[in-house]
Amino acid sequence: MQKQADPMTETSRSPARSPGRSAAAAGEGRLLKQLATSLELRMLGLALVIGAVLSLLSPYFLTESNIFNILDQSVVIGILSIGMTFVILTGGIDLSVGSVAGLSGIVLGLALKDYPIPVAILLGVLTGAGVGLVSGILIGYFRLAAFVVTLGMMAIGRSLAYIFSGQTAISGFPSDLSSIVYTDVFGIPTNVLFLGFAYLLAWGYLTYTKGGRTIYAIGSNKEAARAAGLGVLFYSILPYVVSGALAAVAITFSVAQILSVDPLTGNGMELDAIAAVVIGGASLYGGRGSIVGTLIGVLIMVMIRNGLNLLGVSPFWQGSAIGSIIIMALLVERLVRARSER
Amino acid sequence: MNSAAVAGYGEEAILVASGIEKTFDRTRALAGADLELRAGEVHGLLGANGAGKSTLSKVISGHVQRDAGRLVYKGRPLALRSTREALEAGIAIVMQETSLAPDLSVLENIFLPELGRPGLLSYGSMRRRAVGLLANLGHEHVLPLDREVARLSAAQRQLVEIAKALALDADLIIFDEPTASLSPSEVERLFDIMAKLRDDGRALIFVSHRLEEVFAITDRVTIMREGATVAASQPTASLTQAEVIRHMVGRDIGALYATPGLQEEDERAPAVFSVENLAAPPAVRNVSFFVRRGEILGLGGLVGAGRSETAEAIFGLRPRSAGTIRLEGREIAPRKPADAVRAGIGFVAEDRRVQNIVPDLSVKENLLLAHLGAHRGFGLGYRRRRQKVEELMAALGLPAERLLDANMLNFSGGMQQKIIIARWLLLEPKVLILDEPTKGVDIGTRQAIYGILRRIADEGVAVVVISSDFEELLGVCERVVVMSDGNAIADLPSALLDEEKLTLLAAPRTSMTRNTEVLTALSGECGGVGFWALLDEDRLLCLNSVVADPAAAPGFAAGEAKRLADTRIPAALARRGGDFVTEPDGSRATLLVPVTSRRGHDLGWIGLTLPGEAARPAAERVRERIEALNAEAG
Repeated sequence: MQKQADPMTETSRSPARSPGRSAAAAGEGRLLKQLATSLELRMLGLALVIGAVLSLLSPYFLTESNIFNILDQSVVIGILSIGMTFVILTGGIDLSVGSVAGLSGIVLGLALKDYPIPVAILLGVLTGAGVGLVSGILIGYFRLAAFVVTLGMMAIGRSLAYIFSGQTAISGFPSDLSSIVYTDVFGIPTNVLFLGFAYLLAWGYLTYTKGGRTIYAIGSNKEAARAAGLGVLFYSILPYVVSGALAAVAITFSVAQILSVDPLTGNGMELDAIAAVVIGGASLYGGRGSIVGTLIGVLIMVMIRNGLNLLGVSPFWQGSAIGSIIIMALLVERLVRARSER
Repeated sequence: MNSAAVAGYGEEAILVASGIEKTFDRTRALAGADLELRAGEVHGLLGANGAGKSTLSKVISGHVQRDAGRLVYKGRPLALRSTREALEAGIAIVMQETSLAPDLSVLENIFLPELGRPGLLSYGSMRRRAVGLLANLGHEHVLPLDREVARLSAAQRQLVEIAKALALDADLIIFDEPTASLSPSEVERLFDIMAKLRDDGRALIFVSHRLEEVFAITDRVTIMREGATVAASQPTASLTQAEVIRHMVGRDIGALYATPGLQEEDERAPAVFSVENLAAPPAVRNVSFFVRRGEILGLGGLVGAGRSETAEAIFGLRPRSAGTIRLEGREIAPRKPADAVRAGIGFVAEDRRVQNIVPDLSVKENLLLAHLGAHRGFGLGYRRRRQKVEELMAALGLPAERLLDANMLNFSGGMQQKIIIARWLLLEPKVLILDEPTKGVDIGTRQAIYGILRRIADEGVAVVVISSDFEELLGVCERVVVMSDGNAIADLPSALLDEEKLTLLAAPRTSMTRNTEVLTALSGECGGVGFWALLDEDRLLCLNSVVADPAAAPGFAAGEAKRLADTRIPAALARRGGDFVTEPDGSRATLLVPVTSRRGHDLGWIGLTLPGEAARPAAERVRERIEALNAEAG
């Protein structure tokens, strides 16, 4: 399985140059083969098939306004999924992102009453990052199971969201806040632009930096990573901080859109994020997956939901539909991989 | 498979394996292995590291499925799909790294296969049967049935494995390198048990690369090389050690190691790296050694002696409670591997799959992993190492395009190991520690690895090699530090050692206690100094000594090797007479008594040195006393 664009393409290309064309051709063949066996590519194929089917079923699906709809709906879950990708790559899991999003949203809402918008957003993000730091230390330093720690944080976060908010929705925010969603740059909404920028940054980080490669190495073989002198402790904690902070960022976009926040905000989002990452090809054991795959996973999730809405499928059935598609996608993937590895 | 194919073999053949093949990923572990086994024999299965003897054992025991070939067991073709089926057929394996459940009791482990059966367990009847089994082995009192297996010694665990095989009434028992973690006296006891099982009519396979042991216990041997059988079912008595080695290696052994002689002038080379009184409980108690620039130092000992743990403690993988580490005269105290890497230490850990390979990273990134660990900065810094990577690839004989291979596990074990070693060479370390560097590696790669070690040592790197393969240790290293039970107990040039001496030196302290008791009793009763030593023509290797009267000190201590002339009792050591021999200067009188094991194995000499003026007991009485004490300690 091809995982990542190779960070050393330059070095790898140069030896091929000297032996002449045959080696270069062999290199191309290898590249094609890798592309054909690439999970991201297969998932992109799946996304296109789903898109084609939905556009046949609903004439509205492929219209410009619906495409922007889909992108718009991808922002919150997309940003959450970046943090989840970091966490899952290390072999962990973050069940707390939904309630951390809720808690940060409440903190943002309360702060907006007394502070200017940027300060309020910063306070929300710091809240998310702080919760992530606590989880990260418990998991990285004290070596508690990520599942249990983040399950606990999930309960604590939700409970604090209720307490801080006084069990009611908070609204009446300055309308300037909505400008982070409802402005365009070259015809592209700022929130979609931000999403694209965040994915580019995350991709660059995971592919071209020591920290990014360390995150992969930790998930693939923590002991070997440690023995090679990599900073295992720091980079085991970092993904949870990133995940918490991005949960807060994601919810900021959501709050900006509806200018209101209630203590149930973000409920169940962790499952959507985990599903997107897993559909994108990441292994829950860590070490395998990519940010590109996650983006495709997010688009698949959002497209299906959007399509089912267009087709008038009852919201009660949508859960079953999405669940089945996730499981089928993984089953097909497992069968294909089993065959290719034989 | 038809019966005609079987008819060619002797009637007594209980198992016939022919043309067995097995490939793991791209590694061809077995390529046409044959083995024929009779009831009532101990059959040696020999081969160098990576020859496929363990894989063949696992095919027979159902742990591994064969790709091709035939297995005929008791006249019927055998198709094992699991170890359970093998156990039900009466085939059991006693593994090197034991397959016991550490948290369960001895009793539960003996009957572990029965725990999987439906229905209630009767602990009462299990206990009765266990006592019966152990009595049959002559060990009814040494195994506390209710103790957790995790708290047993290596030898005791092995006994549990054997009892487990007997509980199933296995007719065929495979012993896979059973002596790797046993002391010489424990080995003797194991051999007694094996002889008893053979006499009961069972068929035993003894997998080993220790030739002494193979000649001591086996009736016939089959020798494997590179996955195939090269000598089938030869009577042991018809072979010499040299012939066996030739079969195992396929060429003269001399070519494998460029064994350095005893080089006195090397002693002036400075110590680059030293460790003093290192402790990392519970595995490492007190270890000191040093390595000179350009030297290959061996760290020898039995499995479980604390060698790997010592390396891990030095490297910051394991907390230290005491000790000083010096690199080029500067004290360092790595608290994590990153500290050690940046100080200039490299460490190739023992388990490739668990401790070294990152399977989801490409070969290139695996090669550059230690670089990434040493790298300070946000980016990758791969480009800086580009030229060195190309040089290393060329030196390893790895085509540059394979660097991009996504999965390192597709390479042979030998190539994986070379890449892991290259990972550290890339950083140009001052010290390189390698733990079992040739484990599971084919013979060609072994030679290449020895070549690499020699070359980097000549370039000035201080190299430390940990190995349980004493032949390798003595062949590769100039000097060997022997460890036992977490203590460094001897530091000797390889030229003064052989495999047998090393085995005796490496004996765990638990078996040495018995000898210490003998020496203490002896020197306590008679005064003076008691010692246990191996004697050569003109040299002595002291294994143990107990000093009751310092005035009688013979001029050597445990773990030391000396020329006879350099000791204080040269006359007695040269004469080795049946009575006390007084030195010409009249200072000391010494009695030497040869000791042998119950199997008639030469175990060296027990000596008693008394001050010159002291009253001497009758030599005959002392000799009887030594023999009595020895028998008691057994």
